[in-house]
Amino acid sequence: MNCKGKPELRERLAAEYALGTLRGRARARLKRWMRDDAELAREVAKWESRLAPLAQAVSPVAPPARVWQAVQNRLDGTRKMSFSVWKALGWMASGAAIALVAVTFLLPSLRDTTPAAYVAVLSDAKTNRAVLVATAGHADKVLRVNTLDPSIQVSGRSLELWALPRDGKPKSLGVIGAAQRAALRLDAPAEKSLGDVPALAISLEPQGGSPTGQPTGPVLYSGPCVKYW
Amino acid sequence: MAPPAQVDALGELLSRSALGDRAAFARLYQATSSKLYGVALRILRREDWAEEVLQECYVNVWRHAPEYNASRAAPMTWMTSIVRNRCLDWLRRPNPEPLAEGAEEYIEDGGPGPLDQLERSQEAGAVARCLRALEAKQRQAIALAFFDGLSHAELAQHLREPLGTVKTWIRRGLSKLKTCLAEQP
Repeated sequence: MNCKGKPELRERLAAEYALGTLRGRARARLKRWMRDDAELAREVAKWESRLAPLAQAVSPVAPPARVWQAVQNRLDGTRKMSFSVWKALGWMASGAAIALVAVTFLLPSLRDTTPAAYVAVLSDAKTNRAVLVATAGHADKVLRVNTLDPSIQVSGRSLELWALPRDGKPKSLGVIGAAQRAALRLDAPAEKSLGDVPALAISLEPQGGSPTGQPTGPVLYSGPCVKYW
Repeated sequence: MAPPAQVDALGELLSRSALGDRAAFARLYQATSSKLYGVALRILRREDWAEEVLQECYVNVWRHAPEYNASRAAPMTWMTSIVRNRCLDWLRRPNPEPLAEGAEEYIEDGGPGPLDQLERSQEAGAVARCLRALEAKQRQAIALAFFDGLSHAELAQHLREPLGTVKTWIRRGLSKLKTCLAEQP
């Protein structure tokens, strides 16, 4: 069924779609029709042009800076389409900062047993601000995660940590919870699971983590994963 | 309607974005994001959702900028429609979470909303004049649908009127708007 040959119905549906009162299946159906029916699409566009200037009356609200940051991260991600490219993003620039943070986190771990062998410092690419440090010893089957900036949590969404292997697809290390310190289970000793992982990244995912097993949202933070000894 | 100079400027930023000019896209974002975030926030009433939608919409604007057709819609019209449509789709998601605690309520009958803005100012041009010329109930129903994203059923509940009555107001109101707009200079 469609609305061809019923100009009044078409006009009403186009107007209600543009206004927003057409909902549910009727809305989905009109969208489908528009794909094959250029005339109907034009009718909708005309109604959108009639009504859209009303939006001038809505008070502007400046969005938080993280929105633009996330848009940029997504553009970088989609353009290159490849996680391996992130590795080349010039993290070396933040080497000094990493060394500093690494020392800070290596030293306390000396008290425990042995210093962490693997250290990853994830930061915001734009500001270079470190937000999270992940460490593990050679034989550890857990990755210790220390969130430096608790404000990275996004309400209603989850942050998922990924290992970006030199070859192959990103591998989920788990969801970063609200706790400042956490341990994520590794499915093999760090030597094996992080041995060939030059970088880690955090992506924004639906609550509970990516439904697909691969990152679906924008990459918000990333950084090299370095073997210190 | 935005002044012609602004329309041209936005159009130019859009077409440069279509060619992959990230600096132009950044300026487009600066020039339009507050307005569009306001639009999304009003419909979704949750800051985290509005942020998410805004982010998606700008990614879409970037990707679809080459398809933007200046003869069909002004730049702001095009982007406003992308945002409003995405908001309405967002509200349709299965199992939307309940309003988070402390989430701000943006739908209000008391405070000055966009309808009051329209009634007081001469901005927003012909469509505002035509909206003002409608009967009060038609005007209110159309404004609540446009600005707050209310469906027919939500309008009926909000205005405490039968569904059929509300649908009739919307239909007649839209029809009068179209006639009025066609008569505007």
